Amino acid sequence: MTSIRIVAAISLASALALALAGCGSSSSSPSVGSGTSVVSTGGFQSPLTQSLTAGKRGGTLVVLNETEFEHLDPGIAYYNIDYEVVDVTQRALYSYKPNTTTEATPDMASGPPEIAADNRTITIHIREGIHFSPPVDREVTSEDVAYAIERGANPDVANAYFHSYFDSVEGGPKAEGGPIKGIQTPNKHTIVFHLTEPKAQIVADALVLPLSAAVPKEYAEKFDKNKPSNYADYQVATGPYMLKNNSEGKVLGVGYIPGKSATLVRNPNWNPKTDFRPAYLNEILIKIGGTTTVIGRQVLEGTDMVQNEAPNQASVRLAAEKFKSQLEISPGAGTHYIAVNNKVGPFSNIDLRKALWAALDRAAMDKARGGELVTNVMTHFLYPTIPGFEQAGGLAGPKVDYNEHPEGDMAIAEKYIRLAGYAKGKYSGGQTLEVVGSRSSPAEQDAEVVNQTLKNLGFTTKFTLVEPSTMYSKYCGVPKEEIDVCPSVGWIADFADPQTVLNITFNGKFINPVESNNWGQVDDPTINAAMTAAESVTGTSARATAWAKIDDELVADAAAIPFDWDKQANIEGSGVDGVGDLWDSGEWDYDYSSLK
Amino acid sequence: MTGYIIRRILWGVALLVIICAATFVLFRIFPTGNPAVLRAGRDPQPKEIAEIERVLGLNKPLIVQFWDYLKSVLLHFDFGYSYYSDESVRGLIGERLEATASLTIGAAVLWFIGGLGVGIVSALRRHSLLDRAAMGTALVLISAPEFWLGLIALFLFSSDIGRWKVFPGAGSYVPITSDPWKWFTSLIMPWFVLAAGGAAVYARLMRGSLIEVMGEDYIRTARAKGLEERRVTRQGVRASINPIVTLLALETGALLGGAVVVETVFNIPGVGLLAYQSITHSDFAVVQGTVLLAAMFIIVANIVVDIAYAYLDPRVRYS
Repeated sequence: MTSIRIVAAISLASALALALAGCGSSSSSPSVGSGTSVVSTGGFQSPLTQSLTAGKRGGTLVVLNETEFEHLDPGIAYYNIDYEVVDVTQRALYSYKPNTTTEATPDMASGPPEIAADNRTITIHIREGIHFSPPVDREVTSEDVAYAIERGANPDVANAYFHSYFDSVEGGPKAEGGPIKGIQTPNKHTIVFHLTEPKAQIVADALVLPLSAAVPKEYAEKFDKNKPSNYADYQVATGPYMLKNNSEGKVLGVGYIPGKSATLVRNPNWNPKTDFRPAYLNEILIKIGGTTTVIGRQVLEGTDMVQNEAPNQASVRLAAEKFKSQLEISPGAGTHYIAVNNKVGPFSNIDLRKALWAALDRAAMDKARGGELVTNVMTHFLYPTIPGFEQAGGLAGPKVDYNEHPEGDMAIAEKYIRLAGYAKGKYSGGQTLEVVGSRSSPAEQDAEVVNQTLKNLGFTTKFTLVEPSTMYSKYCGVPKEEIDVCPSVGWIADFADPQTVLNITFNGKFINPVESNNWGQVDDPTINAAMTAAESVTGTSARATAWAKIDDELVADAAAIPFDWDKQANIEGSGVDGVGDLWDSGEWDYDYSSLK
Repeated sequence: MTGYIIRRILWGVALLVIICAATFVLFRIFPTGNPAVLRAGRDPQPKEIAEIERVLGLNKPLIVQFWDYLKSVLLHFDFGYSYYSDESVRGLIGERLEATASLTIGAAVLWFIGGLGVGIVSALRRHSLLDRAAMGTALVLISAPEFWLGLIALFLFSSDIGRWKVFPGAGSYVPITSDPWKWFTSLIMPWFVLAAGGAAVYARLMRGSLIEVMGEDYIRTARAKGLEERRVTRQGVRASINPIVTLLALETGALLGGAVVVETVFNIPGVGLLAYQSITHSDFAVVQGTVLLAAMFIIVANIVVDIAYAYLDPRVRYS
């Protein structure tokens, strides 16, 4: 996934997120963030309080999707829009129940991963009695899981996160789709991962992603030989639902009509005794297209339908005022911050970065994004529901003066400008700042506020707004362009491990010549070393502590200027008993949702 | 005449090649996102990007890519594959043509008949209350963006979210082959919204043109000779309609552009909605296919209108 898509997903307040922090953990504590104001959702429904067992069986749920799917192949799917289908049709080795962000439940696996003492071997046992949907019909084995992961490295499949999480598997870096030496299947129900580095925890954590959902090699191989693979068009399921197909297994044009609809029906080979999902619905009809303005009204005034993506501000307001019982709010849907160039230009000076942080009216920016209903003022970098969030300061954040006033404090800002060497408390270095923002709402409004704040601090700016994707691909993600300020970049985790929030975005080793996601070119040797050490830490609690310390260091370094933690709003029709996830940034979970 | 038509068709093909080249170069010189990078993940390494570029054929020299594309389009009518969904662009467009044709043809008919009808009545009842009301309404419709007009129509008249639940709302479109009555009722609002602006322009143009013609000497002569008013009006309308018909071809582009908006607002799964979705996904292969298709329609419409012009105006002869 590129930053372009990441931010597009975040701007829809949708995407991946959260939990885990230890498939091997024995912790049974409730969700991260519980007991804090983070989970306060103003009396609206929340994934933390919804019943998972009270649904009524039967019926067809209509899901309105403004956006088209990207990739429905479990080996390619990477965005929440695709997870909507993949999560109910495929069973990864582990998955999250809706109300947790700390514990992944064994799904295709029969138990927690067994991590060897040297942190280099992971053994997982596969459940017996799980079958592929027609036309394959046979029982799933560990070889199907191995093939599913191996094909992720096939350039014709090109899984977006294979190399991020599986490169420590022996043979992973050079894998091209064939067998990987470090993935062994000693018997039909056991799979073993051998790693070259002591990174078992992050590899095990990543097994909640759909790449670990079994794919039958003898069936899929012929589709994977196409360039690119078209297995998605003939895919089979292991979950409670499957995309409607014909007798040959063809899904395209039958259960999935691109740009129009997707029809999910019950998988006749799904055995509820092997699964923890209730799967109340008989059918899920996903209609694609339209505009979010109309969809929001259709859902709120309708009965058996939900809006899959985050509704627009008008719909959220309408729901909060008139359809309160049809609104669900979930914490932890990502972050937005200002990337400032740590390497060159005025903001290579730490005191000028702190000055901008102090002066910025973060409260006003969040209000423009919809206010407290869908945002929290961001005070550090790990976000609610990510392990380490509380250790890093929770909602209030670290107690440093430049972080104390969400409305902005010019006096503190001027203090730091003086510390930077400008005696009058205004920047007078004469260098014009290159500010490149995104021409989309609300990022455009963010950019205007940031630009004005910079001017108030004495900076002269060259202010440019471009299309969101261009902002990343041509400017903010290209270090040689030496952009000083990118006013609104966003990030959301692949799953709830703090490494997935901080590593790629702030570790100097991830500064790439193009498509870099370390937009501020943060390259502090101390922080880099701490991150490298933290990558190998095992256990939820220990990892949370290690990465929270790194978060502290990033705040102390004012490596970027945070302003918004997103919450996810979901709306449903009056006849729906929707259950949202904490995982997947709080989007509806159709395995648990039902009709009244 | 036959020679003229053949020449026009050949020029049309040449124009399509030029448009094809222009869009191809445009999307590659000013890309808003490299399709290979879009597939390569969060921390894309040059090797991964290169592999995907190879799979998608983006690693070949630009001129080779263009030649391959041109051959596919001209020889096989193949627009390639979506970078986004890996589906055939021809298939994607083909599935949606019916919806777009239903929308645009219906709107064009409404646009043409409504615009001309109102224009003629306004011209013949000049300065009357009817004339003023019609021209006032036309001014409003010309000024109203289709997106806004569509939303207003839905919030007022759709059966799900409308104040008065009269017509089926967004997402209700069904193909004519599946249920003709549902097809018809689902398109009533989209037709009116898409036709509104154009019909208003036509009404004003037709009114002006007819008023001018009805003041010509030959009309006065016809009346002086005792020709009945109905026949005089028919002559006047026929003479004043030619520039309007020419405009119809030029407005095909506007109609297709409007279809993008109307299909999006009313969630009609047509080519316009496909174009909109493709633009938002930087799916150049599909965008290019839809641009070429639109260009083809505009060129064909212009040829057809030029031919029709000869039949409408006996003074026009092509050699």
